[in-house]
Amino acid sequence: MNTALVDALLAFIAQDGCSDAEFDALALRLFAHQHAGNAAFRRFCQGRGVTPRTVKSWRDIPAVPISAFKEATLSCAPADSAERVFMTSGTTRGDVKGRHYHPTIAVWDASFGGNFARRFMQGTPRLRMAILFPGEQEMPNSSLAHYLALALQEFGTPDSAYFVGLQGMDVDGLRAFLRAAEGSGEPCAVLGASYSFVHFLDALAAAGESFRLPAGSRILDTGGYKSQSRELPLEDFYAALAGGFGVARARCINMYGMTELSTQLYDDGNAVVPSVKSGPHWIRSRIVDPLTGRDVPAGERGILVHCDLANFNSVTTILTEDVGVAAGKGFLLLGRAEGAQAKGCSLAVQEFLQAAARS
Amino acid sequence: METWTAGHLPGLRESEVAWQLLPFGAAGQQLQVRVPVLAPAQLVALARHVKAASAQHLKTLPVSRIVQIVDAAVRRLLDPADPVRREAERLLPIVSGYDAEMVRLGLVGFLQTFRAPQLHRFVAEDFANPKLLDEFQPAPKGGAVRAFGPELLVHSWAGNVPALPLWSLACGLLVKAGTLGKLPSAEPVFASLFARLLAQVHPPLADCLAIVWWKGGDAQSAAAVFGEADTVLAYGGNEAIAQVRAQVPVTARFLGYGHKLGFGLVGQAALDTLRAPATARLAAHDIVRYEQQGCYSPHHFYVERGGKVDPRAFAHYLAAELANAQQRFPRRALALEEAAALAGWRQAAELRSLADEGCELIGDAQAAWTVAFSETAQPLAPTGGGRSIHVSAVAALEEVVALAAPHARFLQTVGIACAPEQLYPLAEALGRVGVTRICALGAMTTPEAGWHHDGRFNLADLVRIVEIEASAERAADRLAPYAQEHLP
Repeated sequence: MNTALVDALLAFIAQDGCSDAEFDALALRLFAHQHAGNAAFRRFCQGRGVTPRTVKSWRDIPAVPISAFKEATLSCAPADSAERVFMTSGTTRGDVKGRHYHPTIAVWDASFGGNFARRFMQGTPRLRMAILFPGEQEMPNSSLAHYLALALQEFGTPDSAYFVGLQGMDVDGLRAFLRAAEGSGEPCAVLGASYSFVHFLDALAAAGESFRLPAGSRILDTGGYKSQSRELPLEDFYAALAGGFGVARARCINMYGMTELSTQLYDDGNAVVPSVKSGPHWIRSRIVDPLTGRDVPAGERGILVHCDLANFNSVTTILTEDVGVAAGKGFLLLGRAEGAQAKGCSLAVQEFLQAAARS
Repeated sequence: METWTAGHLPGLRESEVAWQLLPFGAAGQQLQVRVPVLAPAQLVALARHVKAASAQHLKTLPVSRIVQIVDAAVRRLLDPADPVRREAERLLPIVSGYDAEMVRLGLVGFLQTFRAPQLHRFVAEDFANPKLLDEFQPAPKGGAVRAFGPELLVHSWAGNVPALPLWSLACGLLVKAGTLGKLPSAEPVFASLFARLLAQVHPPLADCLAIVWWKGGDAQSAAAVFGEADTVLAYGGNEAIAQVRAQVPVTARFLGYGHKLGFGLVGQAALDTLRAPATARLAAHDIVRYEQQGCYSPHHFYVERGGKVDPRAFAHYLAAELANAQQRFPRRALALEEAAALAGWRQAAELRSLADEGCELIGDAQAAWTVAFSETAQPLAPTGGGRSIHVSAVAALEEVVALAAPHARFLQTVGIACAPEQLYPLAEALGRVGVTRICALGAMTTPEAGWHHDGRFNLADLVRIVEIEASAERAADRLAPYAQEHLP
């Protein structure tokens, strides 16, 4: 592990914003490091005719498709020396999981902390938290489990609690937690996977129950539904959250994160959906044509590319499967670029995979 | 922006129904197509109108006369000066997004399948004695038989391969079925044009067919129409077909045609220095025509080793031909989701080529085509479309049979270039694992007249055979006033 580089990165994350030139300088330094230290990435760049000499700005760094985290070992440090390995949940392709190696988790944690404080805590030092996701011991390779564990540890009060285990959700426990919070008048936070909220909202609706959490309470959801619950349009989802918990939609915050990143992006509430997502100064995003990799004209939909400088050991720049459009200081997230339905009568990849999964 | 009205609604005025606009645009041209949205009660009334009219005007025509009528309509569409043909040529490229010249050539090729001699072939393929469709004919087993088409045949079309609805429309007419067709949202033009053209050619037919639209998943409209049908034909993905099938009453006949996966085989015999480039050109034609959107379109070519031109070189020939084709027939614009699917497929091929010397990705990210070559036979799977093709080397074409076998439900067309002594054994083996159509390279997208679509009978599947058993004839004879009861 290159400690000088990690130290420079930690200092960069700790500073208050950065100039374009500063961002580029660190991006290029990381690119050179990854190009030299990661054979799979070097071959990928060679295929694109890109070398450290031709890369002049973060925009020139070839974006690695996230599927490559499944196919190749994208790590500069020896993979078996990693302090933590985060794996994708493998929802899209059977049991093949993408792996993200972190030689030290310190950078990931540093990227999490200040950003979470600014975007979610918004000045409140600690909140009583209900976590709707399994704990880190139960899911040691889940970046979301780590994220929520850090949130609880650094920003939660001692009476915060988990309400989802590998066996499922403790609906009654969560009800009791929320009733108590209502009675106490102290604001609280409910954080978890979007689909867990859908399950809980369905349970509330079935019982004809709802809560009015004290002022200052907030909600954080993340990750979409991943076929774990019914698909809910964003508008309905946030309307139901606001109705079920008694939390204004402006305080229902969605976190956009990925196993393949080390940094999270947030919106500033979901009074209006889709909401604008943005990240801290050490991550920048582009919106590209997935075939050519070029930026799409302003205002057009494209696929999101993120350059996350906190990805110091894997690759800074990844090509996602998410559709976005530029807006404000960030972008609107418009869902996944899937469901390319067959327009004719030729079998589409999606249908083929579904059939293969069934047989 | 131009607005074009789709549908054919005999007995209904335009003002009596609601309309929805479907936007289309390609090559800088915009068009909105107005499709009719009928209330369920209107759909039922329309279906009954069609049934009554076809009982009167269509069921009474001899099949040869129907052939003449369809032939007359098709001839008009084959005439470049005809206004309907010109309208089809103008609208279909905008609606489908395909290159205009490709649409024109494809249309001309396809329409030839529906001229009089070919239509007779459709009939002859399914009925040894075509007069069966007109009157009772003596049956070899004794007695007599006659074939009756459905009172109401409902077609649920899908997809954007231009003019494809003509296949089932013509088959329905040949068995004298009253027709109600549901337009595909992706190509609502051709079926509408053809229905109006038929009405011009033979005015009584105007009331014997209706062309409608409803939004996919609109269960009320579907139930209203299917409740009137005695046969329902549905095209589309398995999920869509399952949805339609669930809505069809058990007493009605249901025929579903799902999405398919085509591939090609290139044997040593086609791989000498003279033949290989020509073979590659034919393979490229099959890829480019309809942009791999047809059920018969190829996604994978398996190329035999041991020829003068090795499989990798063939992949490069194919790439060169795809590059040429891009000059003549530029690829249609891809929607973001399609581009993302294609990019995903390309990325996987790129990663394989980085990890494995035997794999090569031909065509850079800016090219409107992609060839992914592999020295080892890759499993059969759909590509990302948009002129992306897999080429795998195999030691012998017979190897491919095992690769195709797991996908029996999705097999249909195989394009073959091989020596005559290979053809029959290969066809036998491929047929055994689910392939239903074996054709030459270059012909994959133009099935011949009378083709047994997905191994089924085009006309025989639609009819109901009515038999007069020999006993009825004998009994009638015994009851005749001229019966001579003392004779045997």
